[in-house]
Amino acid sequence: MKGRETLSNRFEDGVVALLPRLRRFAIGLSRDWADGDDLCQITIERALTRRESYEPGTRLDSWMYRIMRNLWIDEQRARGRRSQTFVSEEAGVAIGALGAQDAAVQLGDVDRAMASLPDDQREAVLLVMVEGYTYREAAEIVGCPIGTLNSRLVRGREALLVKLGEAA
Amino acid sequence: MSLTREELAAFADGELDPERHAEVERVVAADPELAREVAAHRALRARLSAHYAPILDDPVPEHLGALLQRQGNVVDLAKRRESQSAVRSGIPRWGWIAGPALAASLILALFIPRDTAYEGYAGKQVAAALNDQLVAAQPANARVRILLSFRDHSGAYCRAFAEAEQGGIACKDAQGWRVIDRLDGSNIESGVYRQAGSVRAELMAHAQEMAKGSALDAEQEAEAKRRLWQ
Repeated sequence: MKGRETLSNRFEDGVVALLPRLRRFAIGLSRDWADGDDLCQITIERALTRRESYEPGTRLDSWMYRIMRNLWIDEQRARGRRSQTFVSEEAGVAIGALGAQDAAVQLGDVDRAMASLPDDQREAVLLVMVEGYTYREAAEIVGCPIGTLNSRLVRGREALLVKLGEAA
Repeated sequence: MSLTREELAAFADGELDPERHAEVERVVAADPELAREVAAHRALRARLSAHYAPILDDPVPEHLGALLQRQGNVVDLAKRRESQSAVRSGIPRWGWIAGPALAASLILALFIPRDTAYEGYAGKQVAAALNDQLVAAQPANARVRILLSFRDHSGAYCRAFAEAEQGGIACKDAQGWRVIDRLDGSNIESGVYRQAGSVRAELMAHAQEMAKGSALDAEQEAEAKRRLWQ
């Protein structure tokens, strides 16, 4: 059982090492620090219960990101059903501002522009332009063809360029 | 040579195969407009990655790392059982509704006064917020923000709030909003700078001790307000 223990510890160590990046993706997806940390928490919990399905030697980061984005989509659907928890788009945007360490701080342009994107485009933009995945890797995480990922990415970034000014 | 928008972006990202990359490179070099678009794509990437980079430097909240430490302890079974029951009785997830308001307000640096002797009831402004504001519907720039609402073991409605660098928990009784717990940014004699995450965890922990059940959702909160928190 010794070998198994070592493996098991390596799995946890691997996830621990990924935590800062997982948080960045979670906060980017949910556009909110607290929601992002909740998303991280349920992702870790899910990863621990599903660890048997992780194949050692394959990329742990992609595996975790996939779990996270799937949980996020589930949560989005659940939220859609719970209409009573609806927060107006404007309030949601303001609350979700990454730059809102102080309530008085102006909502950042980037937060605003990212908030205006459809979920699938925002996800593609985050995976490639923030997390640094190749198109192929990002498509695998999302579970879509590369061409689809590419076109979501282009639509997302063109919308961002328009909103942020071409000089970005 | 025809060049799609997708291809141009892929070129900017270095995603084309070497042969195609070289072709596009020649076309772009000869066309200032295309060159400008490529530069814009790259500048956008740099701006986005700079925007999210601070999250990597923010300390990971302890409770996230703890999930993995506990689970990682596979050697000592008794310890493991103990830690699992600790997980089960741990801070409940307050639901997504509590999150947004917390993020906006409690990222302020707060300090816990060591000599709090705050007695009494919420002042006018805080009381007004406690009476009127709903977590999901309050203005983003509200001076006093409500973080979450719950019922304590006596059945009284309690609400956690934040105002500038202060925050706390108040419960409604016949007199008004009695302040139970106060985090005060003006008292720094303990000298401990608290990370926003740990303050939040602290306040959540206090709320959890006090609460019977979980935080009110938007509907329950609106209903409680209609009943004037009685």
